[in-house]
Amino acid sequence: MDVRSQIGMVFHLDKCIGCHTCSIACKNVWTDRPGTEYMWWNNVETKPGTGYPTRWEDQQAYKGGWETDGKNLRLKATGKARIIPNIFHNPSMPSMDDYYEPWTYRYGDLFNAPEGDDQPTAIPVSMVTGEPIAVEAGPNWDDDLGGSKVYARNDPNMEALSPEMRTQMFAIERLVFFYLPRICNHCLNPACVASCPSGALYKRGEDGIVLVNQERCRAWRACVSACPYKKVFYNWSTGKSEKCILCFPRIETGQAPACFHSCVGRIRYLGNVLYDADRITEIANLPDDQLVEAQRSIILDPNDPAVIEGARKNGIHESVIESAQRSPVWKFVRVWKIALPPHVEYRTFPMLFYVPPLLPVMSTTGQNGVIRSDLDEMFAQTEEARAPMAYLAKLLSGGNEGKLRYALKKQMAVRIARRHLTVGDATREQAESALRQADTTFEEADAIYRLTALATFDDRFVIPPSQREMAMEMLEDPHDRRAEAGFGFRAAPARGA
Amino acid sequence: MRRLLPSRTLTALAAVFAAAAPALAGDPPSEETIAWFKQNCTSCHTIGGGRLSGPDLKGVLARRTRAQLETFIADPKAAIDSGDPYWVKAWNDSNGVYMPAPAGASPDRIRKAIDLIEAESAKEKSQFAGTAVSDRPLVADDVARGRALFEGTLAFREGAPSCIGCHSVDGLSGFGGGRLGKDLTHVFARLGGRKPLAAWLSAPQSPVMTPVYRDRPFTEAEILGLVAYLKERSETNAGAAGADLSGEPRTGGSGMFAFLAAGVGGLLAALALFDHFWRSRFRSVRRSLVEGSKR
Repeated sequence: MDVRSQIGMVFHLDKCIGCHTCSIACKNVWTDRPGTEYMWWNNVETKPGTGYPTRWEDQQAYKGGWETDGKNLRLKATGKARIIPNIFHNPSMPSMDDYYEPWTYRYGDLFNAPEGDDQPTAIPVSMVTGEPIAVEAGPNWDDDLGGSKVYARNDPNMEALSPEMRTQMFAIERLVFFYLPRICNHCLNPACVASCPSGALYKRGEDGIVLVNQERCRAWRACVSACPYKKVFYNWSTGKSEKCILCFPRIETGQAPACFHSCVGRIRYLGNVLYDADRITEIANLPDDQLVEAQRSIILDPNDPAVIEGARKNGIHESVIESAQRSPVWKFVRVWKIALPPHVEYRTFPMLFYVPPLLPVMSTTGQNGVIRSDLDEMFAQTEEARAPMAYLAKLLSGGNEGKLRYALKKQMAVRIARRHLTVGDATREQAESALRQADTTFEEADAIYRLTALATFDDRFVIPPSQREMAMEMLEDPHDRRAEAGFGFRAAPARGA
Repeated sequence: MRRLLPSRTLTALAAVFAAAAPALAGDPPSEETIAWFKQNCTSCHTIGGGRLSGPDLKGVLARRTRAQLETFIADPKAAIDSGDPYWVKAWNDSNGVYMPAPAGASPDRIRKAIDLIEAESAKEKSQFAGTAVSDRPLVADDVARGRALFEGTLAFREGAPSCIGCHSVDGLSGFGGGRLGKDLTHVFARLGGRKPLAAWLSAPQSPVMTPVYRDRPFTEAEILGLVAYLKERSETNAGAAGADLSGEPRTGGSGMFAFLAAGVGGLLAALALFDHFWRSRFRSVRRSLVEGSKR
C-alpha cells in the first residue's frame, strides 16, 4: 500500500444553474493574457451537447485517454514509436474552429462613429487576425440548446442510445438539458503527463495537482490530444501548453480555487482523499463497467488505522490526514456513493466527481387532468427521467447503469425523507421504505441533505494545509535572516536621506 | 643546482636542427625526396622513358636553367601564362593541360627534386624510366570492368570513391555523372593515350583528387579497366560533332534539365503523398456538424 494524498472535487449537478460565474472568475484570474484568449480552463457545457472543444468526448477524432487490452495500458494518441511519423503534424488535435475563434468588439466605434442616421454598432473583430469576423461559434455556443440539431444531436454520449430513444429524446415535449461545469480533473492516471515527450507535465506529490512546467514545455502538444477531457491548451503566444492549476497559489494559502469560491449555486466541493497509488495500474486494466467501483476501492478510508500508518510512513502530515477525514469528497464518493467520475472509461481516473442530476420526469396526468405529484409516482419515475439512464451512465459511470441508478435513487429518497419531515405529505412508513430501497437511513439522508443544502464554506472546502512553512524550511533556513534589516538594502540607508 | 636543459633534450634538438638543415649538393637524394617525386611527378613524367602526358625530364637541365625550373615548378600556370615560348610549346604539346603545382612544393623540396632529376638523368637507366602499369593488350572484359568501376557498381579495392561521383562521361544512363570534375569523355585523347593516362591514374594529380586518392591507390587491374573504358569512350566519340577536348564539365544539357525536372516532380509527388496521408489535417469537427445539419 502506497498511501498518497490527492485533492478531489465534487460538483453537484442538480445545483448548477449554468450561470458561468466560475468560467468568468477563472478567465479573469488566469486566462486574460495574449495567447490564452480561446482558453477556458473552466467551462460550463449544456448537455446533451457537443461541449467545448466541439465533441471533446469523441476519442475517435481526438484520441484522448488510455486504451487497454486487458493487460497493458497504452495511450490512444501517441507512443514512443507513433510520435515519429507524426512529428511534424499531430493529426488528432482540435482545430481553432473546434474551440472557436476568439473575438472582441470594436467598442470605440460606439463613441467615434461620425454622426449619421443610424445608431453605431460595435462590430466583432477576431482577436487572432484583428479583422472583422462573422461569429459562428463560441465556447458555450449551444448554451441552453437542449434540442439543437447541430449540437445536442451530435453529443457523443448519444451513441449509447438506440435510434428510437434518440428520436424520443428530441421530441418537443421531452426536451431536457442540464449543465456540466468542467475543469481539469487532476486525474490519478493522467494521460497528459504520460504523453509529454519533454517530461514537462507532472503531478504534484503533495496534493496530486497536475501542472505544466513552463520552462520544460517544448510545444509538442502531445498533451493536448492525449487529455481526453481536452483540458490542456496551447498558448500560441508563449508557445507553451497551459492548463487549470487548481489555483494552487490559493490552495496553498488555504483558499478555495477561484471557480469554487465564486460558484453561485454552491455546487462545488473540495477536499483531499487518501488513495493507494500501488493499485492504479491494476485497476486501469479492468473492463469499463467495473471502473467506477474500482476507482472507489483505491480511495482509502482515512479513519482506518492501517491507512493512517501508511500515510505517516509516506510522510503525509497529520493535519493532511485529519483534513482527509473531514473531506466532503470522501463522503460523496465513498460513504454515500452518489458522486460519479465523468467518462471513467478513459481510464485516467478523474478526481472530479459529479453528483448526477435528478432530471424532470415525464409527468402523467391523473384524474381531472391534474398532474400527479404523489410520492409513488415520484419515486417510480426516477428511471423515466427525460434523459435516458443510458445517456447519463455513458457520461458519468462508464456505462454502468446500476451505479447511476443507485446515486439517483438515494437522492430521491433523501427528498422523500425531507418531505416527510417538512411538507408532511409522506408518511414515516413511506419515507422509511424509500430510504430502505435506496440503501440508506434517516441519519445518512440528513447528512446528505445538510451537505447538499445547508453546507457552509468550511463544510464545502476542506483544504489540506500545504505546510508551506515546512517546505520553506527544507529549502532555506529562516534564521539566516535573523538580526538582519529586512531583506537587504539597494542603497545604504543614511540619516536624513 | 638544476641544469637549464637536460642533456636528452639537447640531443633531440640537435637532431631536429640537423634534419632541417639543407642537404648539401652532392648528397645522394633522400628516400623522402624520391617518395615525393614518385607521388607528385611520375604520373605525368618519366626520366628517360619518353613522354607521358608531360614531357620526358631526362636532361631537362641542359635545356632550362635551375632558376627557370624552380620558378616553373612553384607555379606552372603563371610561368606558361608569362608567354615564355619554351613553356608555351610544352603546354601546347600537352593539349593545353596546365601542370598542377605539386602538393607541398617548398623551395627546398623543389631544389631537391631538381637535384634528383639531375642525378637520375646522368644514369644510364633511371629508376623513373618506365611506368609500373603493365602494357598487355586491353580486352572487352577490361572495358566492362572499367565501366563498372566508373559507375560505382564495382567498388575499388582500396575503397576509393567511384569516378561517377565527380565526373561524367558520354554514354552514362540516367542523370549522367557528377559535374564537379572534368568531363572524361575525351580524357584518353587529351592526355595522349594509354601510357600517360595509366601513369596519371597511378598517382592522380589534382587539388581535389590527390588528398582523396593518395592513401587509396588503384590496383593495376583497376587502372587498366578504367583506361580501357575511357579509351573506348574516347574512340566512340572521336567523330562526334563539336567534341569538346577541354573536358570542362557541362553546365547545361538534357541531363541537367532531367535533374531539375526530377527534383520538381519528386517534390510535387512528395507533397501529393503528404496531402493524401494527412488529408484530414484541416478537418474541423464543428464545421462538419454545421454542414451536416443543413442537409
